[in-house]
Amino acid sequence: MNREDYRKAFDELSFSADFQERTADLLQQRARELEKERSNMTISKTKKMAVLIAACIALLAVSVSAAYMWLTPAQVAEEHDQPLLAEAFQGPDAIEINETVESGDFSITLLGLVTGRNLDVLNQDLEKDHTYSVLALRRLDGTPLENETFDFSGYTMTPLVAGCSPAAVNNWTLSAFAQGFAKDGVYYYLLDTQSIEMFADRTVYMAFYEGFAPSNDIFTVAEDGTIAFAEDFAGVQALFTLPLDPAKADRAAADAFVESTGMDGWTNERTAPEGDWDIERHETEDGEEITLRPKGEQ
Amino acid sequence: MVPFGTDETISRIVSAYSGMLLRLACTRLGSTADAEDAVQEAFLRLLTARPVFRDAEHEKAWLVRTTLQRASDIRRRAEQRNVPLEDMTEPAAPESPGEELRSAVRALPEMYGAVIHLHYYEGYSIKEIAKLLGLPAATVGTRLARGRERLRQMLKEDVV
Repeated sequence: MNREDYRKAFDELSFSADFQERTADLLQQRARELEKERSNMTISKTKKMAVLIAACIALLAVSVSAAYMWLTPAQVAEEHDQPLLAEAFQGPDAIEINETVESGDFSITLLGLVTGRNLDVLNQDLEKDHTYSVLALRRLDGTPLENETFDFSGYTMTPLVAGCSPAAVNNWTLSAFAQGFAKDGVYYYLLDTQSIEMFADRTVYMAFYEGFAPSNDIFTVAEDGTIAFAEDFAGVQALFTLPLDPAKADRAAADAFVESTGMDGWTNERTAPEGDWDIERHETEDGEEITLRPKGEQ
Repeated sequence: MVPFGTDETISRIVSAYSGMLLRLACTRLGSTADAEDAVQEAFLRLLTARPVFRDAEHEKAWLVRTTLQRASDIRRRAEQRNVPLEDMTEPAAPESPGEELRSAVRALPEMYGAVIHLHYYEGYSIKEIAKLLGLPAATVGTRLARGRERLRQMLKEDVV
């Protein structure tokens, strides 16, 4: 197989002739519906805000230290048009955390999480529970975070599990879906992963850091399986321990999950810097073939 | 960038990305109808999530990841409902070399399939794929090498 064969195989696929037109119509109709819903919501929120401001003034008179207000996880879910999730965040299974870590220029607060099934109106997964976690980020100097300027994709929010390689249990292996938005200068992350409750009999973390997939440039794993940020990792970082209910653990499912990833290896040693490749070039009838292998791999 | 939601931006995005995303979804789904569902769901997510993109590359990366995730969800749901394999694949036809290759790509672990497709079909470099998928370049390189090796074994031929 060469690139030409590959392209030919996928060019053979035949999709509906009207797919683009049908999809654009569907999206335009949905956009108009959403716009209408948001207009209605804004009117109702304005009324609620007057009550809220009055309540805040009363609270400030009692304690100035409680001045910073976040959206609740339920409100964050509402902002994402996820009513079922918003309800779950107010239900008995929700775990309120509200822990804050200050790192670099940021204050990072893990607000809470909830695990359940069919909570996402756009992704009704009939067979599997998902865990939804909400985190708030603000600048310590008070400069507002804004959708237009904040680099959402430059940061990662991911569960990690003590005793499991960070390469095996993380955002990517748990099929995470992260969304974010800024409101009133605070940036909110909503993370959807496969349920992490199966790991609940071990220490389960929620990590937030500047960077991409977990690597040994970012994390170290101690002999007892404890995970920490690498001492020389200078990016923004926060590691929260999640108060999950150990009774919900499923060790067999957790072990099977880790095995299914095929990524259970981990070393704190940094031996293979990025871009360290063996490159083989061969002239062919179609041009030049370039084979790239990590150094030392045959 | 202009937020997604106006008729103009919807038309632009659907026209610019549909082909690429539909083929990408077919690395995880045997049915083109399911691939169309996955891509529509990804576009709908764009409406409700309202992300703001830095540039076109950021927008493309978001759509690529979301489409792959939607495709995985559809596939997983079908597998969990024990849909027979033949119902999840294209209508029975004499297995062409093209279908044999597509089946082999679908049979790859998901972590390899997307990297193989983005490299072989879209012509992206390892660095570009790393950016699109939010993975370290070294991981993409390893997945490309291992995915190619698995394809080679399945197709019993040279994969270059």
